[in-house]
Amino acid sequence: MQTEPYLGEGPGSTSSQNPAAASSILVADCGATFTKVSLLGLVEGQYRLIARGVSPTTTSGPNESVTRGIIQAINEIEYVTGRHFVADGQIVTPEGPSGDGVDLLVSTMSVGGPMRLAVLGGVTKELETLAAQAVSGLHAETCAIPAPAYRATMAPEMLAVGAGGRSASSPAQPGSWTPEQVSAEWERQIARMRELRPHAALIVGSVDNPLGATALQEACQLVMQTVKALSQQAEGGSYQLPVIYAGAPQFVEAVRRMLNGHAEVTRVDTLLSQAQLGPVSMAASALYERDVLRRVPGYDTLRSWSNSIPVGTASSLSSLVRFLAQHYAMNVTAVDVGSNTTTLMMAGERGEFIPLVNTGVGVGSGLSAILQQVGVQRIARWLPFTTSEDELRQFAMNHMLHPQSLPTSQRELHMFQAFAREAILLTRDAAKGENFGQFEADLILATGGVLAHTPKFGQAALMLLDALQPRGVTSLVLDRTMLISQLGAVATVAPVAAVQVNENDAVMHRLGTCVVPFGDLPPGQTAIRVGVEYSNGRQVTAEVMSGSIEIIPLKLNEQALLTLYPAPSVDVGLGPGERARAAEEIDGGLVGLIIDARGRPLAFPADETERQARLLQWMQIIGA
Amino acid sequence: MAMAYPPGGSAVPRIEVQRERRFAGHNARSIPLVYAGQEVLADQPVIRLELPDQPGSQSQPDAPVVIPAGLRGRVMKTTARGGVIIQTRAALLTGNIGAGQQVAGFLTVWQPVGSRPSPVPAGAILVIPGPASFAMLRQAIASGVVGIVAGSIEMRDLEGFLGVDMFDLFNSVDVDMAQASLPSLTLLFTEGFGSVSMLPSTLQLLTRYQGSIALLSGVTSTLYALYPELLISLPEAETRDNWQPSSFDTSLRLGARVRVRFGTNAGATGDIDYFFVHQHRFVSGVQGRAVRLRLADGTTLIAPIMNIERIP
Repeated sequence: MQTEPYLGEGPGSTSSQNPAAASSILVADCGATFTKVSLLGLVEGQYRLIARGVSPTTTSGPNESVTRGIIQAINEIEYVTGRHFVADGQIVTPEGPSGDGVDLLVSTMSVGGPMRLAVLGGVTKELETLAAQAVSGLHAETCAIPAPAYRATMAPEMLAVGAGGRSASSPAQPGSWTPEQVSAEWERQIARMRELRPHAALIVGSVDNPLGATALQEACQLVMQTVKALSQQAEGGSYQLPVIYAGAPQFVEAVRRMLNGHAEVTRVDTLLSQAQLGPVSMAASALYERDVLRRVPGYDTLRSWSNSIPVGTASSLSSLVRFLAQHYAMNVTAVDVGSNTTTLMMAGERGEFIPLVNTGVGVGSGLSAILQQVGVQRIARWLPFTTSEDELRQFAMNHMLHPQSLPTSQRELHMFQAFAREAILLTRDAAKGENFGQFEADLILATGGVLAHTPKFGQAALMLLDALQPRGVTSLVLDRTMLISQLGAVATVAPVAAVQVNENDAVMHRLGTCVVPFGDLPPGQTAIRVGVEYSNGRQVTAEVMSGSIEIIPLKLNEQALLTLYPAPSVDVGLGPGERARAAEEIDGGLVGLIIDARGRPLAFPADETERQARLLQWMQIIGA
Repeated sequence: MAMAYPPGGSAVPRIEVQRERRFAGHNARSIPLVYAGQEVLADQPVIRLELPDQPGSQSQPDAPVVIPAGLRGRVMKTTARGGVIIQTRAALLTGNIGAGQQVAGFLTVWQPVGSRPSPVPAGAILVIPGPASFAMLRQAIASGVVGIVAGSIEMRDLEGFLGVDMFDLFNSVDVDMAQASLPSLTLLFTEGFGSVSMLPSTLQLLTRYQGSIALLSGVTSTLYALYPELLISLPEAETRDNWQPSSFDTSLRLGARVRVRFGTNAGATGDIDYFFVHQHRFVSGVQGRAVRLRLADGTTLIAPIMNIERIP
């Protein structure tokens, strides 16, 4: 367990049942690997983070409950503060005159795994993408399984994937499947559903095609057969598969009748375009809360302790990111690298918002997904030493089996950080598919254990630059408290506390401002000349060569005016060769003013020795 | 499905547990042959399997396929999927990794006779105190052994034998389906991957019950936090008067024997002789709560609390 004490001046003198006027708040976040609890309290009239406790998440053993990990983490806070918050296994509330007890408990959860959503019916490529977008802000994953008749008629080229008999290269005619092939496809789909064990199904598709309502009918049949097959395997003899119906509206009653007694049906607007994403997302969110979160052992006890419903960590983070974008009128990107999930959320000052919760990809149990998706070579490229496939696989496997373990050697730490880079890259690439490729962040806010606990701030900065590859001028901020993912949930009951803790504690580790010239960087020549005018009048000019990264000293709480002179083919956001002078002073940070002229996309020398030398050089310059 | 426990290769000499004995294949119907409240012996058939007719098969119907209890105890109930929940007083060994469905067999400790191993009876669960290898597993399956309990194995050897990617196997959503495709040899490795022998205390426990019928499950799932386990129902004489479950204190305290489970010193065992009050900075630069361990050779080792586990 880890505890990070914060200097406070003790509890406020009053407590209240009014959540917005709470003197003390416990914020619990139950992650896949660790449970973090933070104590927020009033210090000189401002809400501050008083102390934190961390404990392994406790949901895996018999008779286990998520609340045991929460209490263990609270015990750490009790040890540090000398106050008592737990008695007889229950939270003491409200806060008393002695300082014992707490006024509010707010909780977020990402334990319990993602919600698996099967997308059924007449699933076109567009509908598959829309379904994925609808749940992209949730801890959920989709799997499209188009109805057999739909596949046979509308997409016969997919036939070779399991319906048997025909090679992928042989031409296929619409509707040309034999009964045996259709039958084989049914068996394959039932097996796929059984393997997937979905928490819910989303039925989509219109009827303005030669098949009419057949695809919807087959989707219902697949639901019924899945429920039957999985019920036989279920210990209690019953398997529930709720259905969100977003298909043709005229068939909703027919679908209800067909699924009557087999599955509960929730009707939402027909999914046709991005305009209908909201209702699908809300219905999926409700099912996530009911069928995933509420099944976490100990949920009911936790609910009884809270003034608010435990919410998904991703939902909480999205609230905060959108708030920050609007409050500061800037484009904000938040990245949270967890044990089993990597989250990237981008919110624009004009209300644009793209959330991407990459479930199964993380630096704990999610290491294996990274390894499988990108392969050994892509991970090894970030390592300043030679490694082997066996070593990386062994590392990933051991850490997957023991995700709470800490890296004790430099070699292990480099491997962790290499995986973290690829986790962010995978998530960034997925987000680019969401039409947000041109989003340029003014502020990058980073959290999650692998970033928050980096031994050196330069390591966190380099990971963010390598993986997110921002362009133009960006500020990097590290949330070492790992609180930003909970503050959205806090804001629902105590908005003032959320804002004050965010500003006072969560975003206090400013790594620095980063200038990233892009475009056609001339090899072996100066990419950009940077003029810095410090607040005390001192002036510095630096020339940064293409392919390199430089740090210009600009400490925390220092400001400077910046003038950028890019080479003719180089852009800093105003067009190739266009000089830029900041209208306002930029802030310094723990790393300094970073000029990243390595180019976009980032390229590595082909020669292994040179690649390692280049990585070491970048690390040395940035202090990683 | 096996009950979930924290990993760690722990061995508990006396425990009362309930386990569902079942057949996990998708293509057979399980019919319980016992009823709630009935006492069963470890070798007593408790489930009959109805296998589907093979299309075009001309062969005569085979003798009914039955599954023995594997545990001695009381039937608590039968389940909707055709399983039988048995309560038993047993010795329990949990492994770090494993593979394969539930099997019952005679516990047989592998003892080399001279330069050659002693013959192993078919249907045995073979205990290999040291690390296992690909060749050993191939030899075991050819000999009709139903299960192996060993100290460890190299990941490449295990993947070669099972013919699967271990990441896929441990992350399978449908655990039953994933196990069904494996070779019919159930495996449990007490220490995990590598080339480490099992702890002497573990071997001592297994040797004590050599010849007993045991129930072995190799199912390992990071998704559902499932770990392999071996249950050996205790002889009746050991469960009579004054029977008390053994208590195994998992807390970390001064003098506790622990093992490093991750990192450069993985596998090292020692006794805790100091708890650092403040966070310790390791060579990686990462800070964390730490302990100092005194190893058997008298040297010391500093390890993060998160990287160690208590052992008996």
